[in-house]
Amino acid sequence: MNWLMRLLRRDSLERDLQREIDFHVAAAADDHERSGMSRHEAVRRARLELGGVEQVKEVTRDARGTRWLEDWWSDTRHALRAMRRAPAFTAAAVLTLALGIGGNTAVWNIMDALIRRPLPIPAADELHAIRRDGLEEGVYRLSHPLLVRMREAVPGGAELAAMSAIGSVYVVADRQPERVIAQLVSGNFFSVLQVGALRGRVFTAADDRTLGAHPVAVISESFWNRRLGRDPAVVGRTLRVNGVPVTIVGIAKSGFAGLTVGLEVDLFAPLSMQHELRYSSNASSSSNADPRKPWVPQNGISWLTAITRAQPDDIAPLVARLDAVFRADVAEAMADEDSVSRAYGMREHVVLEPLSRGFSFLRQQFGDPLRALMAGVGVILLIACANLAGLLLARGAARTHEMAVRVSLGARPGRLIRQTLTESLTLSLAGGAVGVAIAHWFTGVLLQLASAGSRAVPLDTTLDARVLGFAFAVTMAAGLLFGLAPALRAGRTNLHDSARGAGRVQGGTQRVPLGRLLVAGQIALSLLLVTAAGVFVQTFRNILNIDAGFERETLITARVDAYATRYARERVHALHDRLIAAAAAVPAVRSASVSVSALGSGSQRISSFTVPGRDLHPAESSAQENFVSPGYFQTTGIQILAGRGIDARDRKDAPQVAVLSEAAARKLFGTDSIVGRRFGYGHESNVEVVGLARDVRVNSLKETNPTVMIWKALAQVPDEYANSVEVRVAGDPRMVLSSLRAALERVDANLPIRDVAIADDVLRRSLLSERLVARLAGAFGILALLLAAIGLYGVVSYSTARRTNEMGVRLALGASPGALARLVLREALGTVVVGLGLGLALWIPVLGLTRTLLYGVSPHDPATMAVAAGVLVVVAVAAALLPARRAASIHPIEAIRSE
Amino acid sequence: MSRKAALLQGTLDMLVMRAVADEALHGYALVHRLKLISGGRLEVPQGSLYPALHRLENQGMLRSEWRATPSGRDAKFYRLTARGRKRLESEMDEWRELSQAIALILGNA
Repeated sequence: MNWLMRLLRRDSLERDLQREIDFHVAAAADDHERSGMSRHEAVRRARLELGGVEQVKEVTRDARGTRWLEDWWSDTRHALRAMRRAPAFTAAAVLTLALGIGGNTAVWNIMDALIRRPLPIPAADELHAIRRDGLEEGVYRLSHPLLVRMREAVPGGAELAAMSAIGSVYVVADRQPERVIAQLVSGNFFSVLQVGALRGRVFTAADDRTLGAHPVAVISESFWNRRLGRDPAVVGRTLRVNGVPVTIVGIAKSGFAGLTVGLEVDLFAPLSMQHELRYSSNASSSSNADPRKPWVPQNGISWLTAITRAQPDDIAPLVARLDAVFRADVAEAMADEDSVSRAYGMREHVVLEPLSRGFSFLRQQFGDPLRALMAGVGVILLIACANLAGLLLARGAARTHEMAVRVSLGARPGRLIRQTLTESLTLSLAGGAVGVAIAHWFTGVLLQLASAGSRAVPLDTTLDARVLGFAFAVTMAAGLLFGLAPALRAGRTNLHDSARGAGRVQGGTQRVPLGRLLVAGQIALSLLLVTAAGVFVQTFRNILNIDAGFERETLITARVDAYATRYARERVHALHDRLIAAAAAVPAVRSASVSVSALGSGSQRISSFTVPGRDLHPAESSAQENFVSPGYFQTTGIQILAGRGIDARDRKDAPQVAVLSEAAARKLFGTDSIVGRRFGYGHESNVEVVGLARDVRVNSLKETNPTVMIWKALAQVPDEYANSVEVRVAGDPRMVLSSLRAALERVDANLPIRDVAIADDVLRRSLLSERLVARLAGAFGILALLLAAIGLYGVVSYSTARRTNEMGVRLALGASPGALARLVLREALGTVVVGLGLGLALWIPVLGLTRTLLYGVSPHDPATMAVAAGVLVVVAVAAALLPARRAASIHPIEAIRSE
Repeated sequence: MSRKAALLQGTLDMLVMRAVADEALHGYALVHRLKLISGGRLEVPQGSLYPALHRLENQGMLRSEWRATPSGRDAKFYRLTARGRKRLESEMDEWRELSQAIALILGNA
């Protein structure tokens, strides 16, 4: 009979065993009776000699080899019964565990999706991108002619595909133009990635052969769903993309939306269509380039990221070939430069960067915050475990009697340990199951919180086998963690102690009960979380309060896209004037202006300048540029410290002028007295400085240093299209938003106006990760306080109840009720103080790790720590107050009689 | 006490198999048989007898059947299987070798 059979025939085996032992006892009793004993005495004797009927049955069952399973089953049923008997305890335990396990799973899931999950393409680990290294920071941009030369240098071997940066275009599907995420790609892009089509076809080399001749697009499944309503006749349908009719030739394979994790491309178009589609995102151009002409044939415009597949062994020779082509290209481009610039430029070289996990700005933006959150939820789970361990210990002590009965019936320590542990694991599994549901919900919340717009960050966070495996591992670990101490305690149950009865005056066996130690540990962990919450919230507030150098509360900015919507170059300046006039006519508007780069948009234009008499190293000569209309400084509130701002004098035919920020003055001129001095782009110094402006942070509040900023007159640059309208209002800007939008839309029905928003709200968008961390750290802090309060309340009220008898004796000996309450409170506070001391000692180095995430506050800020400690003490006193009052209301006679 | 138990632990299976090798016995009879054969020198703890019997049965060394005893009660009788006999022989060989070796060592000491 194998063990499975024995398990299935358990009942009949059990009956047989009973009969067999009965026979033994009866036969032995017969013998004893024959020697003169009474029947009763004979049976008793027989049982004694056997060593106890139940004990023998117990060890004999072990011989079956199915005990573990039967025990597990009976333990589980026992655990479930115990859980049903104490519904409040069970609910609290399952909920805290679920929060801990769910939080850990959610954060881990997002980290996993962001950091580990490979791109949804075959053999993703072969994929590499060409990166330019050697200067300040690596860039991916290459010009198209350089790409072609690189392709020629690797004949027959690796195939190079290319893609532009991800940008936006206006698409008219049926009604209004809508802004969608677009990327230009080479004809072999999909074949190099081995991504096929869900419908229709993907691009081939034939789709990218002739400049301007391929009005075709491949769309992502998500775009098809979202904007085209899963139109079954989508292949062959025509869309207007930035005004150009483009035919959809296919939908890319399900789940493929480009190589950037967290940013889904809606529409792919061939590189050769760059000029026709007026695609103009992220490019760097040299002085001899013309960004208003097609980019593909121009050497001077670097805008492509090249990708290729390579096996590990092929990488070194491939890099050597690519680098040779690249350096020849750089040498040629720098032939006219002076030796310093050339030496600087020649430091650049190319490398192959593994791209199996795709590009991700999220990885950079949220990498450290996620690690901090992971630590936070980890600590929450630890607190929850300490909490449960304490509560289970208290409950276990209340069950000493039950355990003692089981011991006297023959249960061995191992059996009791197993049973108690099974109860803990069952509890933990229930928490884990609810936790997975919470993780699913919490992942969504996190992705929503991490998104600037109304759509959650598109990240593949399906709860797959790996994630569920993680949740299970965490669940089991938690169960063991909080179940071990109570289980070992149960295993030590001894008949003598329990025979004395639970609840008597306790001797000196346990001066520092494990329960109190666990509470002290919880307090220590809570101190960490509450302090962390404090410094993160302060960081967020500090960054918010950084002086951006321009008006934030009463400034509204709006975005326009005249270039993408094909405004004729000659009409653009008239359009700028009409936009300003339309905005200025709105009631409550005090002034209006337009500019090329919008405040807080992160869109930057960086150029290199030369200053006569100053020998600037190439790395030191760059500054960010913006082109602005008259009234810009007045509207934005950027303060002019000397000279004047850009005004109506600075017309097209007037001498070229510029205003510099303090940072720019210091960097380029080395002084603040710059009004009247000249500088320029190349050898010619044809720009006169007319003003010095106070320092600003135009890109983001998080800029470490003030922006090195140069403003020039929009009227003096014929080719620039304004992208931003700035409007200063009197009173509440929220009242003006919709009337302003309507006024701007009336300027030209074909000109889309987007993102009409208060400057302050725009700036806050760049603080997403800080806001996320501050909010969640705050939530964790509150949760930690709550758990600590529950833990302390449980342990104090339990120990008070246990000491009813002692309290009664004290009362009888003359202690006042108030003294008893103070005794309880003092002991609780003692535990808290131990916990706080432990916390301070342990967490000072741990908190130091958060330094990179903080701004304007030390990780060990004494005030924050003091407040956190104070809050914990208050919470602890509140938690201990109820048991203390109970102690004070004890009636001495009843208390002593309660034995 | 614990040393005696440890000695018995290894040999109990062998003794039980030897006792039921000639005729089928129930547990109670087995206790007496072992006591009798050893001339009263060996008393098997009755409590460990049943686990041993059940373990050996599960391993296929013993087979059992319910049969009436002279007293009229039904008892579970165990007897050795062919497999059990093989195992008993090899264990007895090992035991003899071991006890000879021990005797040699003790004799030389």
